[in-house]
Amino acid sequence: MSRFKLIDASRILVLAVAVVAVALPLLWVALATFKTPADLNQPGIIGFTPTMANWTEVLSSDIFAAVGRSVLVATVTVAIAVVVGSMGAYSIARFSTGGSLSRFGILAAQVLPPAVLVFPFLSVAYILRLNGTLVPIIFSHLSFVVPVVTWFLIGFFAAVPKEIEEQARVDGFGRFDTFRLVVLPQVLPGIGAAAIFGFTLSWNDMFYGLILSPSNSTILPVAIAGFNTFRGVELGPMAVAILIAIIPVVIASFFVQKRLVQGISGGAVKG
Amino acid sequence: MARVTFDNVVKKYGDTTVVKGLDLELPDGAFTVLVGPSGCGKTTTLRMIAGLEPVTSGSIRIGDKDVTKLEPKDRDIAMVFQNYALYPHLTVRENLAFPLRAIRVKRAEALARAEAVAATMGLSELLDRKPKDLSGGQQQRVAIGRAIIREPSVFLFDEPLSNLDAKLRVEMRTELLQLQRRLGITSLFVTHDQEEAMTLSDFIVVMRDGEIAQQGKPKDVYDKPNNTFVASFVGSPKMNLLEGTFSTGKFVSESGLTLAVSGVPAGKKILGVRPDDIVLEVGGKSASRGRIGVIELLGPRAIVQVEASGQSLTAVVEASRMDGIVEGAEVGVSVRAGSHHLFDSVTGLRI
Amino acid sequence: MKFQNAMMTPLLSVMAVAVGFPLLYSLWLGFTSYQLVSGGVADFVGLDNYIRILSDGDYWTSLSATATYVFLSVTFELIIGLTLALALQSQKWFKNFTRSFLLAPMFITPIAVGLMFRFFLNDQLGAIPFYLDKVGMSYDFFGSGKALVSLAFIDVWQWTPFMVLLLLAGLESIPKQPIEAARVDGANRFYIFRRVTLPMLSPILIVAVLLRGLDALKVFEYVYATTRGGPGIETKTIQYLTYQTGISYYRLAEASAMAFILLVIVLGIIILLFRRLERVNVR
Repeated sequence: MSRFKLIDASRILVLAVAVVAVALPLLWVALATFKTPADLNQPGIIGFTPTMANWTEVLSSDIFAAVGRSVLVATVTVAIAVVVGSMGAYSIARFSTGGSLSRFGILAAQVLPPAVLVFPFLSVAYILRLNGTLVPIIFSHLSFVVPVVTWFLIGFFAAVPKEIEEQARVDGFGRFDTFRLVVLPQVLPGIGAAAIFGFTLSWNDMFYGLILSPSNSTILPVAIAGFNTFRGVELGPMAVAILIAIIPVVIASFFVQKRLVQGISGGAVKG
Repeated sequence: MARVTFDNVVKKYGDTTVVKGLDLELPDGAFTVLVGPSGCGKTTTLRMIAGLEPVTSGSIRIGDKDVTKLEPKDRDIAMVFQNYALYPHLTVRENLAFPLRAIRVKRAEALARAEAVAATMGLSELLDRKPKDLSGGQQQRVAIGRAIIREPSVFLFDEPLSNLDAKLRVEMRTELLQLQRRLGITSLFVTHDQEEAMTLSDFIVVMRDGEIAQQGKPKDVYDKPNNTFVASFVGSPKMNLLEGTFSTGKFVSESGLTLAVSGVPAGKKILGVRPDDIVLEVGGKSASRGRIGVIELLGPRAIVQVEASGQSLTAVVEASRMDGIVEGAEVGVSVRAGSHHLFDSVTGLRI
Repeated sequence: MKFQNAMMTPLLSVMAVAVGFPLLYSLWLGFTSYQLVSGGVADFVGLDNYIRILSDGDYWTSLSATATYVFLSVTFELIIGLTLALALQSQKWFKNFTRSFLLAPMFITPIAVGLMFRFFLNDQLGAIPFYLDKVGMSYDFFGSGKALVSLAFIDVWQWTPFMVLLLLAGLESIPKQPIEAARVDGANRFYIFRRVTLPMLSPILIVAVLLRGLDALKVFEYVYATTRGGPGIETKTIQYLTYQTGISYYRLAEASAMAFILLVIVLGIIILLFRRLERVNVR
């Protein structure tokens, strides 16, 4: 009996430490949003007079324009990724199209160092005079979101029982209609999770954003980095911007958690 | 309503030939059962008619149309799978109506026809339920209803009753048969259960190792099996098959059992006797004696194992004649006159 | 066209434009002396860029710093991740909440995480050094010799959840019978873990380590947010160096060559990973 308690206690301790370790920096940021510059210079967390100045400063700035651009880029990227990726994932899951080569290709595309692709994107953007738009960023985001979404969906398509497709074909539907009317409804939860996951990936990117987006109309992560001005860091407003960036995706992550495993392992582990 | 014809159809998976040169004709409007042990090729054959497996060589015709290269949707067939394959995201009504969508029937009409079919299948109360809320028997009815809604030329059934419990199975058998009689659609039913095959079929095809072992009316196949395989496969309990030598008026098996059998030319042959045709007499005058082993009581009859001169025999005895037949009792064993089957010892073919 | 191939064409087209073409372009760039203002034409300089890079001591320092970083972060993520996964696996109360909460860090944009820790650990403004000081310890998180470790620590904070995710899935998918059999046979917990559980987990462990390792190779945001490569060039990881070469120093072609070398390294690793995955995937 005492051995039982020891294991249980150590388990709870481990988890408690982990939860605190995760919560502490986040809490610190949240509190920082309410501190005046003077208070921020004093590292002791407790005992300060809260102020809304940071929030008003940021919320009335053009931070939301940056948010809007991030939303736009992420939405377009994910929309394309889901359409293109679901068709490809279905083909790979059901028919093993391309065999190992296609799985290899998708994996490779996901782990490519962005440094390899960014300079061509930059160069082409200049040549085509697109360097003032969000088009180069969207293409760059496609380069990693599409493979990830495809990889993610393979496991879900593989889980659809073959008989349902055969039944639909016998009932009078062609292969694409079978895909559209019978298979897709079965993987809808997976597609939802893939979309959220893909959206998060695009939303979080800073590397491509830093290099490819126009300096005066940038996406959110770059805007956050922008609080690091030559005047020194404006910690309060930056903390607000950080929270604005964090909160939506963290909330979204709560919804996706269950399906994440099935997707991330690309079907290698049954979720 | 159409005949289905197989013309020298061969099916290979890589180097393995699963169906060898099949020539078969399913009679129009009849209920044909394809039966055989696992791996005999019966399901593959069914799937080739459906178009779910490509044909390696040969051709398949439905009616006069060569369908060998056609997609399933263009063959005018309907199929019921072993697991019913109901669409989980649709209600019963929508499941039934789904096939009509493929032929562009207007939604209102499709739903109306779905409701009509549901009525014939006794599903009217369940129209708004989803498949996961249905019992096995109900799911099966929906699968069948979905198959009949289009009134196709051919019905295909892939062991649809195998997932039901024994009692339900027998009930569904009757329902299925009545349905087919009413609709008159050519049907092919695959099963591994020979009893099911015998009770359901107008026409039976026994397959083994990718070939047809025998085909014909069930009674003919039962009464005159072509070879030892069909003889022991069809009929339960299995036919007793004894290797031995015939001489005038008697048969001596390899193990030394002597049985009185007349009218057979001398020589080595295989003797086949159905358990129903083995007569056991307590005391009795027969020269062949045996000792009763295990008895299984089945109500109106009993299956009795008999050990006779080192040979194990299975006999079926009517309940009314079970007096004295108990474990360990000594009995006289004889073969009912004229009921024996003869097979060649080497080829196993009927003589 | 066969149905299955037709279904692949949209994917392949997007990939050709978004990945294939830039990849080839990048390869070409590495052999030129292209500058952004060149407008599409460039002088071919053969292997000049590659030679210059590979003979630069700073480049090798950068590679070794990156390797150290990857080794440190992945090792800790593995150990901590496994511990957490084991703890989460047998948890009963607040299961969903704890899991979602602990997974949250991996969803935050890395630049935000970097900036967050920059100030959390800053020797004047940060809470941690402040409290460490109160107990008499003084530790300069971003000082010489320590900065790289601190960056690895940030990586661990953000990405251990990813490890936990994969390992948890692995733990939940391995068969229970061998473990139960060992229990019945009288083996103690640690023995079971070492000799039964771990070996069964090894395929997943390999996938997790390699996926995470390849991702850690690309570290940029943490450096950008905190040390900008310093002190000296201690934390100038390879992706940061490439960025600097291409954007700060306008040596686009050389940066492309640098990136391509990294690509070759990464591809080599994936091929290895792939051979392993294929062996595992025979279902």
